[in-house]
Amino acid sequence: MIRPIAILLSCLALTSCGVQQPPNEIVVQRFFGTCNAQYGTRTDVAAAEGECGIMTTLINKFSAENPDVRVRVSPVAWPGYNQLAAQLAAGDPPDLVTMHLSSIPDYQSRALIEPLGKDLRAVGVDPQGFTAASSAGVNIQGDVFGLPIDNWAPLWHINMNYFRQAGLVKDGKPILPRSPEELLEHARRFKAATGKPYLVQTLAIERASYARNLYTLLMQQNATIFPDPQHIHLQSPEAKRVVDLFRQIYVEDLTTKNLDYAASTNAFINGAGGVFIVGTWLIGDFEAESRRADRPLSNGYTVRPFPQLYAARDATYIDGHAWVMPAKERTPQQRDAVFRLLKFFADNDFEWSRTGHLPAYQAVIDSERFNALPHRREIAKLSATGMTLPASVQRQFPVADIVGEEMSAAITGHKTVDAALADAEHRINDLLFHVL
Amino acid sequence: MTTQLASGAVGRGFGDRLILAATIALAIVMVIPMLWAVGLSLKTNQELLVDTQSVLKAPWTLINYYDILIGSGVFRWLLNSIIVSTGMSLGVLVLSSLAGYGFARLEFPGRNVIFVLVLFGLAIPEQAVILVRHQLFSDLDLHNTYAGLMLPGMSAPFGVFLMTQYFKAIPTEIDEAAMLDNASRFKIFWRVLLPMTLPAQATLGIFTFLHAWNDYWWPMVSGTNQQMYTLTVGIASTQQNFAESAGLGYLMAQAVFASLPVLIVYMFFQKYIVRAVSGAAT
Repeated sequence: MIRPIAILLSCLALTSCGVQQPPNEIVVQRFFGTCNAQYGTRTDVAAAEGECGIMTTLINKFSAENPDVRVRVSPVAWPGYNQLAAQLAAGDPPDLVTMHLSSIPDYQSRALIEPLGKDLRAVGVDPQGFTAASSAGVNIQGDVFGLPIDNWAPLWHINMNYFRQAGLVKDGKPILPRSPEELLEHARRFKAATGKPYLVQTLAIERASYARNLYTLLMQQNATIFPDPQHIHLQSPEAKRVVDLFRQIYVEDLTTKNLDYAASTNAFINGAGGVFIVGTWLIGDFEAESRRADRPLSNGYTVRPFPQLYAARDATYIDGHAWVMPAKERTPQQRDAVFRLLKFFADNDFEWSRTGHLPAYQAVIDSERFNALPHRREIAKLSATGMTLPASVQRQFPVADIVGEEMSAAITGHKTVDAALADAEHRINDLLFHVL
Repeated sequence: MTTQLASGAVGRGFGDRLILAATIALAIVMVIPMLWAVGLSLKTNQELLVDTQSVLKAPWTLINYYDILIGSGVFRWLLNSIIVSTGMSLGVLVLSSLAGYGFARLEFPGRNVIFVLVLFGLAIPEQAVILVRHQLFSDLDLHNTYAGLMLPGMSAPFGVFLMTQYFKAIPTEIDEAAMLDNASRFKIFWRVLLPMTLPAQATLGIFTFLHAWNDYWWPMVSGTNQQMYTLTVGIASTQQNFAESAGLGYLMAQAVFASLPVLIVYMFFQKYIVRAVSGAAT
């Protein structure tokens, strides 16, 4: 018995050795998956496709152009915040991390990420060049806490073949509703003409889509969603109007039901409805589908920003991705390498925008080559109309989850709209009270 | 009499057939999702984005498996999982056996109190202690090490409880007989009693191995360096965003791949596992 114990203890001692980070190495932690089989060593960014492909080739290209820097990429399962929190607690965070704009306040408020403004300017990245939406996401208390990578927003992906059938096309463009009443009227007309629901929605399992819709339509009514960083205001006529609208759409079968994210994506491609409300990232897939013959989307796909249903303001809830730099001690070489890499990403923002996401830089939005990409001209205005939640609001991910749960309960009839909004408000305020 | 026997035989035959039919039906219900996952893993992501029913039609491809083998550090993660699972299982067996013997056979002050304290561990969920545990391992600089991945699992109240009960069930006359033969206490434990607990050791070892193999949370927050990922964490990290629609084939291939080693272990050790599980149930 002594021998196995001794062997075990020896093994534990041997396996307790840590790994030191070389002085010229930076650790880049990101989501977007791995695709090394296809892009492992490739550096031709322009030929790469998709988030993973473009991100991988970008980093490969940087490494090839900067042989004095060693970039160690650490992919994490989306969104990777549990791992990051653990690393920060252990005092061993990576040098750069991908982060949603909506999550930056959680880390900035605890001084866990470093301000970047001064150093970005020093390497030639001017934060004034960020789009308004991107800038709002990374600017907190007068400094820049991340290099924005992109913005994304809920879009209306449209089956134009069905829209034509329903008489909802004019001059080759989709006729979109300009009020909640018009939305219902279009949806009823659409259903009568095609026999299909007007909306394809992700109503099962995923909660974020509910929150995006609610935030967007509250913003369009100029409603104050967060009167202060610790309180959400959902027991309002504006919020009730929005939830009532989606409840009505549900009750009249003007939407697909019980579909999760994958099923709703599948359903839209296979012609289950007219409008799929989902983010920027599927433009490429739907565009490719529209070029295939004899398919529901054949020569009949377009995409538009969320239509303005309320007169007060043209606005869409927007989020995005950014690079942030966790606070930790770095060698001058590592610090220099981090900012060279950030500068490289800033210079290559157009390549990233080929994923479907909106560029983070106004110059790219305005560029010919961006507007020459399929459908980008139609959604470019989001860089101005897109709105983030206030940067002072923390825990935006769990807040969206609660909003989604309660909206789902109200829309499917498990709760009254008033009760769901009251519960959402109470739960979120309780959450925010305890974290601040 | 003959008629009774015949009707009994017919009755038993019908009952058996009914049970068999129900078992087959349940087995099919259990197997279909797994077969569906295997089927999805044999289709390209592009095909599945358009239509998941295409799984029933040719062509099929191994491209997703090729991507896993070529495009990830899967062999490193596999090695890590084997080291962690095996190490943790051995550790649990050694510690639980020693502790179980101590609680069952030795008289020492506070034995019952300590045993109750150990049993409290059964009632404390991992989630309740993970923060302080993480901090402790951080202070000891044990994150991103095999020891860091293995040690938490070695504190196994269930193992101590199981082994204690097993040792208690062995008659003390056996110890006394060995003592009469001038055997030391350690020799009694090592040569006489421990071999008698092999069925319990097998049960405990298999359960611990499977738990360690499937564990995701602790390896995710402790082994944050990609070189220290276990299979579960590593495979999760390769998922692209919205993998459930845009990368469904790859996602399913990963699920199938991750289950293969355990499946192979099960195929080779099926007899022992069934015996261990039924032993645990009795």
